[in-house]
Formats: sequence, C-alpha cells, structure tokens
Amino acid sequence: MTDLVFLSLATVTIASSILALEARDLVYGAAALGIAFLGMAGLFFYLDAAYIGAFQIAVYIGAVVVLILFTVMLVGPQLGEPPLELKRLSLLAAILVSLLLGTAGAVSSASAFPGPDNCGSGCDLIGLSNALINQYGVQLEFLSLVLAAAVIGALTLAKTDRKTE
Amino acid sequence: MEPITSFFAVSVILLGIGIYGLTTKRNAIRILFSIELIYNAANLNIIAFARLSSPPLVTGQVLVLFTIALAAMEAAVGLAIVMLVSRLNVDIDLRKLTRLRG
Repeated sequence: MTDLVFLSLATVTIASSILALEARDLVYGAAALGIAFLGMAGLFFYLDAAYIGAFQIAVYIGAVVVLILFTVMLVGPQLGEPPLELKRLSLLAAILVSLLLGTAGAVSSASAFPGPDNCGSGCDLIGLSNALINQYGVQLEFLSLVLAAAVIGALTLAKTDRKTE
Repeated sequence: MEPITSFFAVSVILLGIGIYGLTTKRNAIRILFSIELIYNAANLNIIAFARLSSPPLVTGQVLVLFTIALAAMEAAVGLAIVMLVSRLNVDIDLRKLTRLRG
C-alpha cells in the first residue's frame, strides 16, 4: 500500500521543512530548506513530472537557496543566534544523509526507474512543450516580462538606499 | 502508485508547517521560508491532481512551472527588501518593522 520511496521522500521533506523553521542558525535553516526542496523534487519525479522536478531543483536549489544563503551571510551577525552544537548537528546530518541516500538508492533501482518506454503519459515531455508553446505562449511571454520587472525592482531596491545614505 | 490521499496528506502537513511559521516567527527570512513551503504544498497538490486524474493532464505541470517562476521572483524581491532593511540598521523583526512605511 504505502510505498517505501514515497514514505522516505515525504519524511525527508516534512522533517527538513520543520527543521528549516526551527533550526537556531539561519544558515542551517536555509540548508534544511534546500533539502526540503530536494525531497519535493523527488516527489515530483515520483509523480512522473520529471521536467517539473528538474525545474524545481534548478530554480529552488540553484537560485532561491543560494540567494537566501547570500542574504544571510551579507546581513550576517545581527541575526546573531549561536549555531547548533556540533554533536546534535552531526547526528541530524547522519540521519538526513542516510535517508537521502536510501531514497536515491531505492529510486534508482531498476524497477522504480521507468525508462522512456514504460513512462506513463504523465511524463509526456512533447505534450508539455506543445502546451507550453502553443496553448500558453502568451502567458509565458508575460511571465518573462514579470521576471524582468522583478529583477529590475530588486536591483532598484538594493541601489536607491546607497544614494539616500 | 500511491493513493492520491497520501500526497494530499503531505501537502496539508506542509501547508500547516508554513502557516505555523507565518504566524509564530518574527524573522523576515523565516517568514520567507514559510511562504516558500506553502508554495511547495500548493505545487504538490496541483501535480498530484494532474497526474492522478485520468487521463493525466499536462495543464497542471504548466501551471506549476509558472508558480515556481513566480515564487522565485517573490523570493528575489523579498530578499532585496530584507537587505534594504538590514542596511538601515534595524532588526528584521517584521512585527516591529515600521521604518519603510510612507
């Protein structure tokens, strides 16, 4: 009934998202948030949405978590709470890493890893790209406009302050 | 395949964690974490619905692509605001943050 892969992915996701909010140091919180995003990407892979999973890894772990880490490091010591003790942290890291590795092993075992032949119609990449370009092309263009506006807005926010000071 | 209710359970738990963080945390970065968790819960819900309906819908995946892009944008702007506030030498405690008003 309950699949082991699903169970471990859900456990990793939920546990590390709790840890992201409850870890005392924000750097560890950001790392735990990255692990939660990774577990969520695993759930997307499990649901045959491979492209979404890859997108999730690229955007969330590649961009958002790195951005959060940079902000935490730049804003720095005034967030200032002491980091976790090393012993508890290493125990936690051991549990998390073993869970992650177990999940990876279970996912990449041949039976749980459908190739392109027995991939269900849910992971139909051609259908996805057709829908994205033909049906939702205008929305895609608007999305890129919004992203450009957000980048310009963020730059403006970060820059105007220096002049006023 | 797992029954659809278990994905909903994970999604609801993530939503609960996110709402808990939104209501109890005071640090702006932690509140951003909570918002991202809520986005993820919604994404999981949409993907599960799209996959487990028959026939599987591709529209759900398109919607989640848009959501992920918008969430990244929101995080960028939010973190820019956090940096701006922290440069004004105030605490980034959102309950006390009235410095940017007006």
